[in-house]
Amino acid sequence: MPKTIAITGNGAMAEAMRQINPDVVAAFPITPSTQVIEDFAKFVSDGKVDTELITVESEHSAMSACIGASVAGGRVMTATSSNGMALMWEMLYIAASMRQPVLMTLVNRAMSAPINIHCDHGDSMGARDAGWIQLYAENHQEAYDNMIMAPVIAENMDVRLPVMVCMDGFLISHSVETMQIEEDGKVRDFIGEHTALNSILDFDNPVSWGALDLQDYYIEHRRGQQEAMNNAAAVVADVSKRFGDQFGRKYELFESYRLDDADRVVVAINSVAGEIKEVIDELREQGEKVGLLKIRMFRPFPYTGIAKALSGCKIVTVMDRSTSMGAFGPLFGEISNALYAADNRPLIYNRTYGLGGREMLLDDIKDVFAESKEYLDNGKVEKIFDILNVRGA
Amino acid sequence: MSDKSDKYRLKNWQELPPGGVITEGGNAADYETGTWRTWRPVWKEENCIHCLTCWVFCPEEAFLLKDGKTASGKDRKEIKEIDYFYCKGCGLCVKECPVNKKGKKVAVEFIREET
Repeated sequence: MPKTIAITGNGAMAEAMRQINPDVVAAFPITPSTQVIEDFAKFVSDGKVDTELITVESEHSAMSACIGASVAGGRVMTATSSNGMALMWEMLYIAASMRQPVLMTLVNRAMSAPINIHCDHGDSMGARDAGWIQLYAENHQEAYDNMIMAPVIAENMDVRLPVMVCMDGFLISHSVETMQIEEDGKVRDFIGEHTALNSILDFDNPVSWGALDLQDYYIEHRRGQQEAMNNAAAVVADVSKRFGDQFGRKYELFESYRLDDADRVVVAINSVAGEIKEVIDELREQGEKVGLLKIRMFRPFPYTGIAKALSGCKIVTVMDRSTSMGAFGPLFGEISNALYAADNRPLIYNRTYGLGGREMLLDDIKDVFAESKEYLDNGKVEKIFDILNVRGA
Repeated sequence: MSDKSDKYRLKNWQELPPGGVITEGGNAADYETGTWRTWRPVWKEENCIHCLTCWVFCPEEAFLLKDGKTASGKDRKEIKEIDYFYCKGCGLCVKECPVNKKGKKVAVEFIREET
């Protein structure tokens, strides 16, 4: 029987890691992801997992150790946040380009400076071009479910790419919510055995990893990596369907919430989606045709499906919880890309919110919908980009 | 010259194992470093004393050897030719050649590669 328990988001991720029972975990503590590894370290000490836990001296070393262990043929995991992931930067790209199915819990936290421990998505959005599959979660359950699916996606022979499972720092990582932990045996059956590919410990078939490419080969390797990312979309969809059949919770590449007949749509990622749904329900009762498109998979980005889902609505507000200084928000850029070729292209604009953990309350979201109503009534977008809840606006 | 069979063909992306892993040993021999060359060492047999210094220094093993005899009839290895499939034109042979160093004759000439 699955257990229904009250647990923090970090605790839920540690539970997922316990069930996955990786061969190696290498990590360095950083708020707000620290508790993931703290809890997991207890599982290691209590003999509940067979994992070799390597407590390294930095995040750069953590990811380096993960890559080494993965290349040696192990199933490998880590967890980090913000500046910790930034210190992994070089190795993030190498993990992806060496096509190692490393798994990471990324607890979203704002990038310094000023130093700040609270949530925004600047860390994972900054890493969007590193070649990792990125899955995002609205709540504890989704984060846990994404992590259970992550090894199956990453280790698929048509994919072989690292997966980053993202959830909001503090809002999810440290809050306690009731959720369902599936049975260990069923989870392990679902995940299956790890299959090593070209392991450096296979002495009968010796290989070299990390060799040099010049002008005559680099682009071919990158082309192959792009193909793996393209394959990943179908694999994520397939694994999600199998997960739904097995455990009853259905996931798509993005979630459509009251979207079918919606005129005004908000596009958002992670925990704010829960609040947006609450406001949508209230506005729907007042007869307003509003809906939400929640991104679950940001890399690879499901352009075609999103274009189809948003085609026909009248105005789209894209909510970014990170900034790309000197540019629109990263999510806005992708949604615009998706919509360019769509039929019945809606009006579209970008709102940045929640940087460094700035609260986004239900009334703030009502204001977002009030503004989109005004824009739609006037038939034009007055301000294409703005930052919400900033003093001095 | 080395055989430029299919083995040396540049592979399409679909043929490459994921992650740039090298799955066979010694495959540097399959790789044509000769395309890097902008300067070409030209071996002058008439001036060569077959000391094999160039063969020792060459990082690409581009100096090929043959069996020969010394003036007194003893067996020795001699330079046969430069394999331009591998020669990347680094010029080490030109720099290290003791005949070149002496300055009266040139046993390995360095000329601009024609483009």
